[in-house]
Amino acid sequence: MLTGTLVSGLGLGSMYGLIALGFHVTYVVSGTVNFAQGSAVTLGAVLGYALGVTLGWPMPLAVLLALAGCALLGLVVERLLVRPFVERASDSWLLATVAGGIVLDNAILFTFGKEPRSLPSVLATRPVEILGTGLYPLQLVIPVVGLGVAFAIRTVFRRTDLGRVLLAVAQNADAARLMGIDVRRTVACAYALSALLAGVAGLLIAPLFSVSAEMGTLFGIKAFAVAILGGIGSATGVVLAGLLYGLAEALVTATLGSTYTQIVVFSVIILALALRPDGLLGRAAVNKV
Amino acid sequence: MLRSPLAMPLAIAGLTLAGLALVMVSSGYAHFVIALVALTAIAGTGLNVLLGLTGLMSFGHAGFYAIGAYASAILTLAGVSFWLALPAAALIGAGIGGLLAIPAMRVKGPYLAMVTIAFGFIVEHGLIEGGALTGGQNGLVVTGGPTLFGHAFLERELALLSVLGAGGALYGFHRLALSRLGRAMRAVRDADVAAASLGFDPVRVKTLAFAISAALTALAGAVLPPLMLFIAPSSFPFSQSILFVLSVVVGGAGTVLGPLVGALVTVLLPELLAGLAEYRLLFFGLATLVVLWLVPSGLIGTLARLLPKPAPEPPRPSPDVTRLLYRRGGEPLVIEGIGIAFGGIRAAEGVSVTAAPGAVTSLIGPNGAGKTTVLNMVSGFYRPDAGAIRLAGADLAGAPAHAIARAGIARTYQTTRLFGSLSVLDNVVLALDPGRLWRWPRAGDARDAAALLDFAGYEGRLDRPAGELPHVDRRLVEIARALAGRPRVLLLDEPAAGLTRADTDALGGLLRRIAGCGIAVVLVEHDMPLVMSVSDHVLVMDAGRPIAAGTPAAVRTDPAVLRAYLGGADTPARPRETPWRGPADAVLFAQGLTAGYGAAPVLDALALEVRPGETVALLGANGAGKSTAMRSLAGLLRPVTGTILLDDVAIAALPAHRIARLGLALVPEGRQVFPELTVIENMRLGAHGRAEALDPAEIEALLDRFPRLRERAGSRAGLLSGGEQQMLAIARGLMAKPRILLLDEPSLGLAPAMINALYAVVAELRDQGVTILIVDQMAALALTVADRGYVLEQGRVVTAGSAAELAADKALEAAYLGAA
Amino acid sequence: MNAQAMKPQALKTQAPNARAPKAEGRRSPTRRLALGTVALIGLGLASGVHAAETLKIGLVTALSGQSAKSGEAISRGIGLAIDEINAAGGVLGQPLELVARDDEANPSKGVLAARELVQRVGVVALVGGLDTPVSMAIVPIANQMKVPFLGPWAAGTGITRNGAADNYAFRVSAVDALVDEALVAYAVKTYGAKKPGMILVNNAWGESNEKGLTAALKGANLPAAGIEKFEASDVDMVPQLTRLKEAGADALFMVGNVGPSAQVVKSLDRMGWSVPVVSHWGPAGGRFDELAGPSAAKVHFIQTFTFAGNASPKATAVLTALKAKYPAIKSMADVTPAVGIANAYDATHLLALAIKAAGSAKGPEVRDGFYKVATYPGLIKTYEKPFAPGQHDALGPQDYVFTRFQNGEIVAVGN
Repeated sequence: MLTGTLVSGLGLGSMYGLIALGFHVTYVVSGTVNFAQGSAVTLGAVLGYALGVTLGWPMPLAVLLALAGCALLGLVVERLLVRPFVERASDSWLLATVAGGIVLDNAILFTFGKEPRSLPSVLATRPVEILGTGLYPLQLVIPVVGLGVAFAIRTVFRRTDLGRVLLAVAQNADAARLMGIDVRRTVACAYALSALLAGVAGLLIAPLFSVSAEMGTLFGIKAFAVAILGGIGSATGVVLAGLLYGLAEALVTATLGSTYTQIVVFSVIILALALRPDGLLGRAAVNKV
Repeated sequence: MLRSPLAMPLAIAGLTLAGLALVMVSSGYAHFVIALVALTAIAGTGLNVLLGLTGLMSFGHAGFYAIGAYASAILTLAGVSFWLALPAAALIGAGIGGLLAIPAMRVKGPYLAMVTIAFGFIVEHGLIEGGALTGGQNGLVVTGGPTLFGHAFLERELALLSVLGAGGALYGFHRLALSRLGRAMRAVRDADVAAASLGFDPVRVKTLAFAISAALTALAGAVLPPLMLFIAPSSFPFSQSILFVLSVVVGGAGTVLGPLVGALVTVLLPELLAGLAEYRLLFFGLATLVVLWLVPSGLIGTLARLLPKPAPEPPRPSPDVTRLLYRRGGEPLVIEGIGIAFGGIRAAEGVSVTAAPGAVTSLIGPNGAGKTTVLNMVSGFYRPDAGAIRLAGADLAGAPAHAIARAGIARTYQTTRLFGSLSVLDNVVLALDPGRLWRWPRAGDARDAAALLDFAGYEGRLDRPAGELPHVDRRLVEIARALAGRPRVLLLDEPAAGLTRADTDALGGLLRRIAGCGIAVVLVEHDMPLVMSVSDHVLVMDAGRPIAAGTPAAVRTDPAVLRAYLGGADTPARPRETPWRGPADAVLFAQGLTAGYGAAPVLDALALEVRPGETVALLGANGAGKSTAMRSLAGLLRPVTGTILLDDVAIAALPAHRIARLGLALVPEGRQVFPELTVIENMRLGAHGRAEALDPAEIEALLDRFPRLRERAGSRAGLLSGGEQQMLAIARGLMAKPRILLLDEPSLGLAPAMINALYAVVAELRDQGVTILIVDQMAALALTVADRGYVLEQGRVVTAGSAAELAADKALEAAYLGAA
Repeated sequence: MNAQAMKPQALKTQAPNARAPKAEGRRSPTRRLALGTVALIGLGLASGVHAAETLKIGLVTALSGQSAKSGEAISRGIGLAIDEINAAGGVLGQPLELVARDDEANPSKGVLAARELVQRVGVVALVGGLDTPVSMAIVPIANQMKVPFLGPWAAGTGITRNGAADNYAFRVSAVDALVDEALVAYAVKTYGAKKPGMILVNNAWGESNEKGLTAALKGANLPAAGIEKFEASDVDMVPQLTRLKEAGADALFMVGNVGPSAQVVKSLDRMGWSVPVVSHWGPAGGRFDELAGPSAAKVHFIQTFTFAGNASPKATAVLTALKAKYPAIKSMADVTPAVGIANAYDATHLLALAIKAAGSAKGPEVRDGFYKVATYPGLIKTYEKPFAPGQHDALGPQDYVFTRFQNGEIVAVGN
């Protein structure tokens, strides 16, 4: 059972990490985050279901289009819910993205349907036995893909022009402007990438759970907790915190029962932030007087 | 009338009466809705204390609402009177709020949001697991409502009670906002550093704000059980916390009536949409977005701007302030060998100076010399690694800022840190008794504060929000505020920056008058005429160490000081062999260029031109507007007025990235390399904006020119030394193959050997035909490589000429070190 | 003038804002906004008087979220019955009208909605939804306001057996206490269970069944292998199930909504533990077989009604009428939670009969009217004096059938 708990914890944890990376990406580039990130998780899964199952298109195509849809959502969120407020130096982007999430969740509810549906996957039909525990192959695939994507993002950031542009804006937006980089467009790209990551997570976890209009909400909140816990400015910290969070959640559920999971995990978060106010791997901003 | 002090209490009383009347004439469900609006307004007012006054975000206020509701329900079910349960619930809320403040104080921004979110979840799930006490998921059914004098409290009475409570809460908020504590909260929000240096412990102020906020919200929650007859954990979900924030923001954070308006919207809108059944949330989300888009500063905040402007103030008397300030036989501030290092770099080392009472002691030195670092150590923002700071027998080294303020050391800041939302008068009144939160307003407070403002030379309105003041007035108000605590020592950090000559001269007079009151004045300043005219004693620093000390006259002839300021003449950089001759069509042309930050223009109709292949120097003292000119030309500072042409293309309205793509490369002040990217990656980014594809040979060629960069090609730019970073910044600029290269303070903070190497490179680039506009505070150095130069003073070109003419001009030295 | 008639007005208040130009700080949009706010406040308080042309029935159920399909089923059952009643001249000379509110499966929202329906809309009676916690919260309010509450789905024992002296809660649905006895009897009879375990959702419904199952096991003289709980949002029940397996459970009683119930089945699959699962009717709330996979068919769960394999002419007629009224219904799978439709359909007819018998739409009289209903040939069965003081449940163990999923349809076991 411990194996199952660990695998399950690592799997969910890597997904939290992936969604939290989305918070990280927009935060470092623009100082803002999309609080409707959970809705992007939902959208990824719902689009995947609608295209791949309802319309019966080939799954790879459905997945690609679903991810494209998520990226588009990111662009729309940035343009309508973030930029108008940031340009007026208002913090209301925070509430605007929350409201945007409510609108999107309900829009999905009325188009996709009210019932949870199941996204079939060959990797989640027949369990295999590993160390005395039955697991779906997908449960093993998820942490591998999750960490793989996180690693790929790192590689993209380090190796491609787009990645370097994002990093440049994150490190020094003014200097980036002087390089001829359009910071606005870069921020929009970061939002697209952020929603895309959430979409990947949504598509990966959908076959294990179910596809519904509200599947992403709790994931979004937990991922935000993960992003903060890891130190939202540190990509490594965020992924690490995701794994820790997933494992802690699974272990508390297995030992104390799921009724105590949220109390214990959220108490630990408050405690951790009291001890490390900038998150596990976050760096304190220099207090310049 | 609308702005008179009685307007708000009358408005609150009127609204309360209207609410009561509405309850009397309506029935049934309307009572319930009115009560809910009133309770939401109370809870929102609680959140407003935190969000509006103290600037702290909470996404966990549903937790306090729940705590109040459950405390009241559990107590009344146990037989305690509802009228005792109400204050008990508020007390429990305040206690838990104070406890939450402990972790919440340590975190900021999104981290604070997360702590409060976690708190909300813990409360919700704690209630679910609360067993028989909380009734678990099923919640508690409350039967038998409260009674008063035998009269049963049903919906109508509860609605009346809630409306009265809301009126009381709004009035209480109004009083709090005007009280010393409320002003301290706003001071902590506007400028926590400055509040600490007035002796207000930000932790204590924020903890109190949390406790008051939680108590009010819990109090509102305590009325819920008899009203709803049923409470359950699901009554207090995360979304309720968001609704509270929404109601405060929609109404207008920080305004008295904002939470009431917000409560009307967040409670009534869902009621109105009830008929939409399942489409309700969709429309609620959309309506919220529309409100946010239309009125970003909240409904009340937007309406308040429409109020008529206040009437002119009566003339005010100017009583004598020496009574307030004069200190006889004060003790000196003695600084002994203090030093501090940041990440291995010694920002200051072995600094010793004695500031005598009644005298002006100045700390001067080029940029990056460590002057402000010394001030920050003395005022308690940095903890020195070594040395002592003695005042009146106590060693203050390492004490927190608010403790140092209470010991009698006041300060001002390089960029003023006024409490922008408080009036000019309140800024000063708040400082009258350093650090005291509970103090009855005294009749003389306003008079004393006005006298201090008058003494400082402030002539504007006293009721104006400090955030709206022009630059010079900010300086004066900040000085008056620093004096209000009757300090023994006054530290001033570049008070003359951005002031006109006339204002600076007036400031000099003020500093002497302050010293005349027996106060030890410590001045950090770049404006040499000011320093030379007011100082009794001058300490000169360079690269973190003292290099000279003495009277102004002694210091200004010290060769070490001259070298530190103007740069040595022993540079290998040579002037052009043959004078520059080239086409007369300017690459870069500016005329009537006016720009600034906020109210104060820094550039005043600047005109300059740079022709192809020419190297032009832009000179002037600190604060003359050199860097502002560079930022305006490169598009980092917008909007600007006037004309800027780059190759005959008008760029004054273009953003920086478009200008960069047109071929203007600015190597900014402070290098600004991308610290986490490697040297090569930084260079490749330099070519990002150009149309031409990148040829690896170009990078090779540049690495040949900068051999030190080749050695470090793969390492992160942040690990490079200052000189290497400057080389990299120039190389990055050259990667753009620019039409013109702008160099802003390239020698800043570099060791002399490095500066020489750097200028050799600049001379080389010039000889290869690169068009260069260079700003350097080492004027002599800049003139060795330049063909021509402009001298700036207060944002205008005062002298222009060939490099040779300018180098021979004594006026230039005067601009830097002050006239002899 | 009722809430539905107010809809266009509510939208109109928003319209000026939506059209207002972007320039904030200018006077005119601000003024319009202020006017809009005032109008909003006015509208919100303009409660009270409503012309009573129709008799309104209030429905409080989940119309959004994961239980939304149940709300849809209940709405359809009521809608069809109302059409039939109105076609026959209505009740007391007035047509019936359904006013639905979404409770988002949240008890507090349900209570607010119930009050609004009673006090503002002025409904004759309230109809509840799927969620026991919501109904449990509404019942005390209904009793206090003296408005009949009719449950077509939620089975929590305490809903009708609420201990109030003046009880206004009626139900045309299963009752946990009775269901639990039926579940225990079925497990013993079908699987020869000796030491069954419980896997229950951690909410009021789970608690109601924990009591019921414990009592039923005691009555049958059987020990419980263990009682395990899960959260509605849980996705991995392996830890809980492992504990039950280690305790030697030979059958499982499952109580939970469709989503987590499917996760229980998937967790069993992953553990490779093939144990009989006897379930309350949670799986009927959605596409259980799709969510739980092939093992869904192994779960036997209780129902009060199925269209599948039901040859009665009434069932055929109702199904045809449903398809005519709701074109979205195409196959049997679209009427799977048939219980919601059938219970709500019968409940609405019983309510109409009660109002007729009372000869009044006043709460206390309608309540007594329920006791006077004599015979009603309904969809589930023919009701003979279904209600009496102390007997507020119209259905009993004799009306329960055990079912399972087969190709997206709910079919009776053994068919």
